[in-house]
Amino acid sequence: MKKEMMRKGTVMMAVCLTAAAAFGTMTASAEGKKIGISLSSKELARSLKDEEYLTEYLEELGYEVDVQFGQGDANIQASQVENMIMSGVDGLIISPWDGSSMTSVVQLAHENNIPAIAYDANILNSEYIDYYSADDLEEIGATQGRYIVEHLDLDNNEDTFNLEIVAGDPADSNATYFYNGAMEVLKPYIEDGSLNVPSGQIEFSVTGTPGWEASKAQTRMDNILSTYYTDKRVDAVLCSNDGVALGVISSLKSVGYGAEDMPLPITTGQDCDVASIKSIIAGEQTMTVFKDIRELAKNATYMIDCLVNGEEPVIEDYVIYNNGVKDVIAMVVEPKALDINNYQELLFDSGYYSEDVLDME
Amino acid sequence: MDTKKKTLFGGNMRQNGMIIALLAVICFFGIATKGMIFRPLNISNIFMQNSYLIFLSLGMFFCVLTGNVDLSVGSVVGVSGALLGAMIVQNHVPTWIAVTVTLVVGLLIGAFQGAFIAFLSIPPFIVTLAGMLMFRGLTQYILQGQSLSPFTNSFQYFASGFLFPQLKVGGLNVICLIVLAVASIAVILREMSARKKRISYGFEVPSMGVTAAKLAGIIFVMGFVLIMLAKYRGMPFVLVVLIIVTLIYNFIAQKTSVGRHVYAVGGNRLAAQMSGVKTKWVMFIVYVNCALLATVAGIVVTGRLNVATAKAGNSYELDAIAACYIGGCAAAGGSGTIMGTIVGAAIMAILNNGMSIMGISTDIQQVIKGLILLLAVTFDLTSKSKSKS
Repeated sequence: MKKEMMRKGTVMMAVCLTAAAAFGTMTASAEGKKIGISLSSKELARSLKDEEYLTEYLEELGYEVDVQFGQGDANIQASQVENMIMSGVDGLIISPWDGSSMTSVVQLAHENNIPAIAYDANILNSEYIDYYSADDLEEIGATQGRYIVEHLDLDNNEDTFNLEIVAGDPADSNATYFYNGAMEVLKPYIEDGSLNVPSGQIEFSVTGTPGWEASKAQTRMDNILSTYYTDKRVDAVLCSNDGVALGVISSLKSVGYGAEDMPLPITTGQDCDVASIKSIIAGEQTMTVFKDIRELAKNATYMIDCLVNGEEPVIEDYVIYNNGVKDVIAMVVEPKALDINNYQELLFDSGYYSEDVLDME
Repeated sequence: MDTKKKTLFGGNMRQNGMIIALLAVICFFGIATKGMIFRPLNISNIFMQNSYLIFLSLGMFFCVLTGNVDLSVGSVVGVSGALLGAMIVQNHVPTWIAVTVTLVVGLLIGAFQGAFIAFLSIPPFIVTLAGMLMFRGLTQYILQGQSLSPFTNSFQYFASGFLFPQLKVGGLNVICLIVLAVASIAVILREMSARKKRISYGFEVPSMGVTAAKLAGIIFVMGFVLIMLAKYRGMPFVLVVLIIVTLIYNFIAQKTSVGRHVYAVGGNRLAAQMSGVKTKWVMFIVYVNCALLATVAGIVVTGRLNVATAKAGNSYELDAIAACYIGGCAAAGGSGTIMGTIVGAAIMAILNNGMSIMGISTDIQQVIKGLILLLAVTFDLTSKSKSKS
């Protein structure tokens, strides 16, 4: 997919303020209107938060909501959206499982004068999508990459460190962005020799983890450690998300990392899965990227509310993604690096998670 | 089966063919990875990484023997992981109770599917397809999209622990050496008594030299593997369980009436029924057994990863089915051996491990695995049709 990105330099807070300000003004026109929310799959922990916050914010404005999950299947999801259109929703928020399979249903929505926006994953090859509530995907990868660079202190250190890369699902286009974002940061250090990848497995196609399956990441890491690290230590593992990070950590611990004299390497992640937060607190996983789903849901709520009421959303900070036939304006959430030093503030003090989630242990 | 055909090794050609294929695969990756797959840590990894596959294949073997498959095992792996996570991680249930409950749930799942298959005569493909959907759904329901971690150390031990890792003499683990000695003696005694029996029945036997060479080969391979394990941390606990379980199932398949009845049902169900085999109960037991072993695999997968995830076990059923077919089970049912299935699983295991070490991209890995499966079954069917004509 061809993609162009443009950035405008204003601070992200401004967007949030705009969105928040908009909340108060439009409630009157929302009465009796219904928004259809189509999420890709219930298998993902985040989907439940998507559902929770989108419902909360839309209901605050007086909308009714109809949330459906696509069971990780593009066809099922497309039928669900068709059924929503037939049932007479006034607006659609779609998080497609497969970005290219929504073209005809979005056209159907357009023919019925129902505005639709893309949420979390873009809808490709459609002329009828103007807005997209998104995370800044490459920036997520870049955040992981920068964390490694800063914490190995590569800019002030003459030593060579060993890095391995465990990327996401090769079939998931988002995984490519995460990888590219991180590698844009790390490539110069690999080229100048301050980072060494002993396995030689650097390209996206050989570092991928099919289906994002933790056990596959574990197996691959096992094989790398048994083959290339008999006389070396790994210093950092770039893991694209929390799931694969936990698989990698299980592998590292099985060969003795995590002991006093053999500390675990830096491991990255994203999503703030509860299992990973516990791992970070236990001193195992090093960091994860925090993508505030509340911001994503707020942005989506603001945009769909404007569109349903026939107004154009005012977005100050955006990234342009080309969806194959047109440029889509993405209102983006700034990713934040989360580690043992700031998890309390970002997750619990802010109320994103209640502290009971940790008591499961 | 063409066991009567005289061959150099006195066994059936099909199975020896698979062993030769396995050795060829091992040699290929040995060379391609410059011997890296033979490192002690990697030998240990191969067993740890693939123990789930062998448990699943042992269960699947009997289903395939009846001419069917069980599509639900991957989802049963998932649901057992989810249950274990809910019990151990969320509710602090003691490990042994959680494991027992999970195994009982495995039996119940098997009984549920088995009842539909055996007593209501619903085709196994459909019943287990339904099971695949239901148990994947239940996995997601239990986990609510979360991954559950960390598990207790005692639970992890089952999948990632070693037996007395510190007990070493001259850098070699004692347990491994004892296992090697016992296994070598057992293999020699067994071969000798089998040979004597064949002679007493007046069957042809391979010459003493060939037998000795075969024994030497087996002992060399066992010795190599066990010495490598001894050099690392010793005997993985799960490998001991695997060996015991495999021997038990091998015994059941070959020496007991239940085992023979499964072959009979797979060969010709109607004929088996006529000769007094309780075909319904056979089908029931086969599917109960398969689900039970799938929960064992679930315990191993969850324990090793130390995380319960909604995706655990995804498409494992296909790996297990492929292992059975590669290992020489007939697609139509009625023939195949446990040891063949183990060899099939081993081929899959070495392929996965070797390709991963070589850094072959995952798309190509799937293409290669698909080709190997196709070649194995094609070889099986064409060699059979030749032997008939």
